[in-house]
Amino acid sequence: MEVLPQLIVNGLLLGGAFALISIGLTLVFGIVRVVNFAHGELFMAGLFGAWLLSSKVGLTPYLAAVPLVVILFAAGAAMQRFIIQPLMDADPHIQIFATVGVGTALINLALILFGADIRTSELPWAREPVRFAGLSVARGFLVAFAVSMVATAALVLFLKRTHLGRAIRAVAQNRNAAPLMGIDVPRIYIITFGIGSACVGLAAAVLSPLFPAFPTVGTYFALTAFVIVVLGGMGSLEGAVAGALIIGLVDSLAGYYVAPDLKEVVYFLIFLLILVLKPAGLFGVRGSE
Amino acid sequence: MRRRHVLAGTLAGTVALAARSATAQGSDLRFGALYPFSGPLALLGDESFRGFELAVEERNAAGGIGNARIRIIRGDAVDQNQAIGEARRLMSVERVQAIFGTYASPLSFAATQVTELAGTPYFELGAISDPITERGFRYLFRTCPVAKFFGEGTVDAVTGIAQKLGQDPKSLRIAVLREDGIYGTTVSAAQKARIQQLGYQMVEDLSYSVRAVDLSSVVQRLRGANVDVVLHTGYQNDILLFYRGMKEAGWKPKAVIGSGAGYSLTDTMKAVGSDFQNTLNVDFTQFAVNERVAPGVKQFVEAYARKYGHPPRSGHSLANFMGARVFFDALARAGSMDKDRVRAAVLATDVPEYTTPTGWGAKFDEKGQNTRARPFLLQWQGEQQVTVFPPEAAVAELRIGLGAT
Repeated sequence: MEVLPQLIVNGLLLGGAFALISIGLTLVFGIVRVVNFAHGELFMAGLFGAWLLSSKVGLTPYLAAVPLVVILFAAGAAMQRFIIQPLMDADPHIQIFATVGVGTALINLALILFGADIRTSELPWAREPVRFAGLSVARGFLVAFAVSMVATAALVLFLKRTHLGRAIRAVAQNRNAAPLMGIDVPRIYIITFGIGSACVGLAAAVLSPLFPAFPTVGTYFALTAFVIVVLGGMGSLEGAVAGALIIGLVDSLAGYYVAPDLKEVVYFLIFLLILVLKPAGLFGVRGSE
Repeated sequence: MRRRHVLAGTLAGTVALAARSATAQGSDLRFGALYPFSGPLALLGDESFRGFELAVEERNAAGGIGNARIRIIRGDAVDQNQAIGEARRLMSVERVQAIFGTYASPLSFAATQVTELAGTPYFELGAISDPITERGFRYLFRTCPVAKFFGEGTVDAVTGIAQKLGQDPKSLRIAVLREDGIYGTTVSAAQKARIQQLGYQMVEDLSYSVRAVDLSSVVQRLRGANVDVVLHTGYQNDILLFYRGMKEAGWKPKAVIGSGAGYSLTDTMKAVGSDFQNTLNVDFTQFAVNERVAPGVKQFVEAYARKYGHPPRSGHSLANFMGARVFFDALARAGSMDKDRVRAAVLATDVPEYTTPTGWGAKFDEKGQNTRARPFLLQWQGEQQVTVFPPEAAVAELRIGLGAT
């Protein structure tokens, strides 16, 4: 069996999973201009939600996506309305503190409610491998990859083709001019934050058969998601997908050819290199960072 | 309470302390129980405490230590800073005469630094990191086996596997896989030393960060190196990632041997599913063990179930129960809580192996470490971990073939 093609496929599929988590973050970053440090914890909440819905209600984890997207949209919108909005005119670090606070609160809430144990959503089907052309991949990763690509495409179309999408982009381009065009900026922020969180809800449901839920799982993904978003260019959905695929590939190849404990070193080196050459990220526009 | 002391000034505080220590002068012995009762380590911290609590109740029912009843004062050590803070509080405000703990090694490291300075005896019942008793402390004593024995036990298990396979153990290709924290580092160092000592062949030595979200490249490395036996030191989440990676790649070695922690939890077995069958693990004595070498283990399980309403969640409670008993006997012999008499009595302890509910004996070296405690080799067969080695402790035959057959 050839190792290299297998590593590349593993890397791309892992990248697909990362992309699903990162698109929500980049949207909030690019439009609301808030660095949401609670993003990983929203993902954690989503994983627990998927576990509750599958083990207590009997929904298969994939179907749990429907209620989770709705619930996380509401949670994100509420977070923007009641926590970020009142601080919108404050110093950016105050907003950062607020999101860090929300994240810490969510971790501890999960510790109280569920304890430190891991919980897995049961869907053995997703962990079964499919074999083709000498390669072997888990079905769940294929599903996650497909969902990730479709979700990104849908989000891009939504932003480009619909009235609401145009309004969102207008706010991103100039938040002072947008209200003069009759756009209700605070409302756009609430909706955007909601959509960003809904993306994590979708990610959590799709990834729940592959990744167990535990209170600190969000921090495992959050750092990678931040790297991806900055790498791809803040606010750029295409950039987030490209960044995620690159990081996924590096993770897989460096883990094999270098050493598993050095793979973070390798991807931070690549990250630094890209930022030196292209400070706004791969797909970023200068000045938007 | 704390704030009121500050507000009322030192005078009120001193009076309160004096009043409190006066009541402690009665016939009660005040022992601190320092464990992580909340936070991420709480589950097994609490499980460990229960063993200590059962030992105290048993002792009190039999008249206590030299006619003095034992009172437990809890200290919650969530992290290292809090372990230090709580150890100080137990000694100064609560005036405890000794502290028992701690389950997690980093917490034990931190707390024992302040108790040693104060000359308060510290009895470690469950933290395994070797260096805890290698700092020249005089009033720190430990009953449980150290990480070195865990590492050696996993390599010795390879010998047993080779026998079953009818192969020369030196022909088996071994991989050491570990998380890169203190736990993985200590255990794997002992594994590598033992592998070298026995002349076995190690073909891979891989470490990864606990924050890893994917171990498929690790699995590819192991597969590429044609590994027969993986010695894995990891936590619950990475064990899941490792088994998922193996399933995804459609590859598995002849055996996987864990070193306690995540490998001992029923939840890990349930989460991985049938692929976890026949996974080996070196750990504290569990409950499926030959009663001849662990007399009293049945009674312990019964007492536990009576008090808490369900069977023990892991062997941690048993290890703490055994250790607390050994130290209570030593304290009774010391006849006083004077630190040097306590040390002399602990060092004079001589309990033969296979006479306690864990099967461990008790004989302490100058450093305060029990030299008669060894972890056993366990195997997941069906829904439980059964003891498979050493033969006198075993209740089942070692099985070959990872995953359900």
